[in-house]
Amino acid sequence: MLVLDRVGKTYANGVHALGGVSLTVALGEIVAVIGGSGCGKSTLLRAIGGLDAPSAGAILLDGERVTAPHEKIGIIFQEPRLLPWLKVADNVGFGLGERPKRERAQRVAAALERVGLADKAAMWPRELSGGQAQRVAIARALVPRPEVLLLDEPFSALDAFTRADLQDHLLDLWADAKPTLLLVTHDVEEAIVLADRIMVMRPRPGRIFDEIAVELPRPRDRHSAAFDFAKRCVLTALDRSLDRATTGATDEPKAEAGAALWW
Amino acid sequence: MTIAAEANPTRARALSNRWTRPALGLIVPVAAALAWEFIVRMGWASGRLAPPPSVIFATFVDLARSGDLQRNTLVTLTRVAAGFGIGVATATVLGAAAGYSPLVRRLLDPSLQALRAIPSIAWVPLFILWLGIFEASKVTLIAVGVFFPVYLGLMGAIQSVDRKLVEVGRAFRLSDIGMVRRILLPAVLPAYVIALRSGLGLGWMFVVAAELMGASEGLGYLLIDGQQLGKPAEIVTAIVAFAIVGKSTDWLIALAAAPFLRWEDVVRQE
Repeated sequence: MLVLDRVGKTYANGVHALGGVSLTVALGEIVAVIGGSGCGKSTLLRAIGGLDAPSAGAILLDGERVTAPHEKIGIIFQEPRLLPWLKVADNVGFGLGERPKRERAQRVAAALERVGLADKAAMWPRELSGGQAQRVAIARALVPRPEVLLLDEPFSALDAFTRADLQDHLLDLWADAKPTLLLVTHDVEEAIVLADRIMVMRPRPGRIFDEIAVELPRPRDRHSAAFDFAKRCVLTALDRSLDRATTGATDEPKAEAGAALWW
Repeated sequence: MTIAAEANPTRARALSNRWTRPALGLIVPVAAALAWEFIVRMGWASGRLAPPPSVIFATFVDLARSGDLQRNTLVTLTRVAAGFGIGVATATVLGAAAGYSPLVRRLLDPSLQALRAIPSIAWVPLFILWLGIFEASKVTLIAVGVFFPVYLGLMGAIQSVDRKLVEVGRAFRLSDIGMVRRILLPAVLPAYVIALRSGLGLGWMFVVAAELMGASEGLGYLLIDGQQLGKPAEIVTAIVAFAIVGKSTDWLIALAAAPFLRWEDVVRQE
């Protein structure tokens, strides 16, 4: 179980990015965090990943405090971030550390097989397409069998077809070991396709504004009426989160905030 | 069918490119050499100060047969090797420290940048006063020449390592040593090899300067000897020897680094 207890972050330059976020995520749950730009959602994810320490509050994984990158927490970034000097297979095995060679090779092969890229094992990262590279990054994050997998807008750099394909594929992979997924996104559809719960955040300082449970059976049909309804719910919540935020903050014109939301 | 039909001409073009491109580059120098040979043979020019290719070739063979060429080349090569070794070692230590630690960078870099602004040849009189006219001053001058490109190249390369890749290392909980070995070193290597090669180029430049200023052996000595005795063919022979040895040493570095930089080739081929 992942517990966030009033997690806050104020940067050295005085920007109050995160103002006390509390959230409990059960093992195997998929939670999406959504919000306009600058709402602190990436800051939150980086704090859980142990990459930037929070300035207030605590992050607990199974009761243990997380202050640095944790072995049970994996992270997938917006870009694949493969190491260009390692072949695809070595990239996938990057997080396996000091394990025996044969075990490494087996787990890498199995992971590549699972993401459908077994034939690319001996290639260099630069020879892959964007979608393939991100699948390798997913395999790399899953190979150490994390308990929690953090995803920071993982598919936002991909075209619409590849994105939908990878969303389905991610759910498929999730079903294998059912790790906790915590996904940051600005894509409403992506949040509804993937998540059990959607946390809507509001900016300045970032905090959770609303929580929407998505109780549609999986796999979710992107064109069903229920899906459309869920989409409208999330969009309304997002809209309201920004309205209130802008009445509170005088430094930004309202039209600009609206534009940021309606991408 | 269309694919097959198109594949053949492309391959044929690639093949012909492989041979015609270097051949094209040879046309001008070979034609110029032949023309000069012809002009001297016809007696239209004496060729006393600018000897024709045949005379240069004969001088080259003579010097090689007497062993003078090999002996002098070896002396010069030893000087470059010593200067290059010292320069690279110092530059690698300081460049790595300045690239890795902002404190070291703030401490050292301004002084080194100030020293870099001095044309290195200007040190020669001082080095001779300090170290004498023999090997030590020559090797030091070469080392100074090699130092700056390697130092700058390595420091810049470390500073410009992709922060996002460093973060991958952090996310996978690499130790400091693991971070250096698995992220920094491979990320820095391409730029480091380029820095080594430009350092070596400067090393060859500075060995000429050092030997011109007083040496009793070495390829630079052959240059001076040829000038003082009025033997232009000897000068050209020494120049050709410089070109051959210089290019070979550069090629050796490239060859040694190639297996580690194979991942880069993917980009170049595209």
